[in-house]
Amino acid sequence: MLAEQVINGLVLGSMYALIAIGYSLVFGVLDKLTFAHSEIFMFGGYVGVLTVALGVPIWWAIPLAIVVAGIQGLITELVSFRKFNTPDGHITAALSSFAAGIVLIDVTQKFWGSDPKDLGIPNTIYTASTELFGLQIVYIKLAILIVTLLIMIALQILIARTRMGRNIRAVAESSTTASLLGIDVKRVTQQTFFIASALAGIAGLMLAMRGGFADPNVGLSFGLKALAIMAIGGMGDVRGAMIGGILIGVLEGLAFQYGLGKLSEVLVWVLMIVVLLVRPNGLFGRSVNRELRA
Amino acid sequence: MSEPVLAVEALHVAYGPIKAVRGCTLRLDAGETVAVVGANGAGKTTLLRALSNLLPHESGSVRYLGAPTERAGPHELARRGLFHIPEGRGTLGRLEVRENLRIAYDVRPADRSFEAALERVFERFPRLRERHDQLAGTLSGGEQQMLALARALINPPRVLLVDEPSLGLAPALVEEAFAVLGEFHAEGIAILLVEQNVYSALRLAQRGYVLRQGEIVMEGPSAKLLADAEMLKHYLG
Repeated sequence: MLAEQVINGLVLGSMYALIAIGYSLVFGVLDKLTFAHSEIFMFGGYVGVLTVALGVPIWWAIPLAIVVAGIQGLITELVSFRKFNTPDGHITAALSSFAAGIVLIDVTQKFWGSDPKDLGIPNTIYTASTELFGLQIVYIKLAILIVTLLIMIALQILIARTRMGRNIRAVAESSTTASLLGIDVKRVTQQTFFIASALAGIAGLMLAMRGGFADPNVGLSFGLKALAIMAIGGMGDVRGAMIGGILIGVLEGLAFQYGLGKLSEVLVWVLMIVVLLVRPNGLFGRSVNRELRA
Repeated sequence: MSEPVLAVEALHVAYGPIKAVRGCTLRLDAGETVAVVGANGAGKTTLLRALSNLLPHESGSVRYLGAPTERAGPHELARRGLFHIPEGRGTLGRLEVRENLRIAYDVRPADRSFEAALERVFERFPRLRERHDQLAGTLSGGEQQMLALARALINPPRVLLVDEPSLGLAPALVEEAFAVLGEFHAEGIAILLVEQNVYSALRLAQRGYVLRQGEIVMEGPSAKLLADAEMLKHYLG
């Protein structure tokens, strides 16, 4: 069904968008890419596994994912970014954060094995559905869409209306000027990493809840795709990441619907190459490649 | 003699491979306006950037309000009332005018509410009131200079470091910028002004230093420096 594939695409796109926003926030503030991000996303699924192991209700996984992923983000900032603040630190930070991500995969596999790990939740959580306008809607997909929407609204308000958001935008534009105006750039950087990582953690958790299992390999496939989406949307542009994520998700859903099968996986990468050729700053990026809009 | 608000002693600063500031000793007393003049590339901007700890010091000491500044980050100095208007004015162009002012207001606890402080700033700079909800990047050069000065006015600092306020401005706007600095002086803010526009700067300041290739080659009361036109011309090249 076409409509069902569109919904699947929206669900997929929600998760792409959440991860891509994180890449964008960090890139906006630091001008650097964090390659640990996709693995923090991956680990979000294992927060689900942990939650079940703790014996607390599965919904506790959401605040837990925020805290665990946020802390992983803070650690990434500390070990892979803090020291490399010179102009030639970009590559060092990229390599270091990439290594941090690989370490996270290895640790995860050490504890839970290299195969997907069943969450051990009742399968009604990810299969229960209802019929709406003649469509079979799975509750968990609806929940993912609602949670994503709420997060995006909250993020818009945070960035556009709060002191923290104002400071983040100020540092994104010029960390030098921001510091001369009394803004603690280090603290803003930490806040940015926390928020970006928390979003990825929630996305990882939602992906696991949708399928009923956590997978140690989703970072390198699914998570890295969000990096391409950020580049398509516009480097450092939060709105571009949101729209780009949803767009790619829906396109993939449609490609699947029209029988492209596995080929739909390659769509995003081809699209990234084409978009970058035509618009090097992405669809929403302006001529300046550092853009962080509210 | 009372302690100066800003005391710089034998300061050396490297800018990349270049030794841009070489053993500068200068002071700024409370409520005083001091000009540092010099030709392009004399090290004026490097000196200011080092004073607010944007650049590391190779050697020498800087004391602000009697305390050494070496361990403080730029934002901490700003919070303690050492406010630096950078070269090019430091406009946050993708933030609204009002947001630019809000950030500057938040720099340290203020004795009036933001709305009241904003009102005071808008009375002085009516153009900014008209444009308060525009992105600051859409302002003209003169308006951006007003915004830079307004950010200092909204929560008045103890010491103001100003880098080349005349840069890229038409003469009438330069005059206006200097007039505002004169008002800051009247309010008791100590100002260290770095300028290529020697005569305007020395007319505003009570004292001046002439910087050449990173060294202070002349200093004294402005009137005396201005009187020695021959020498001034020689050093400013």
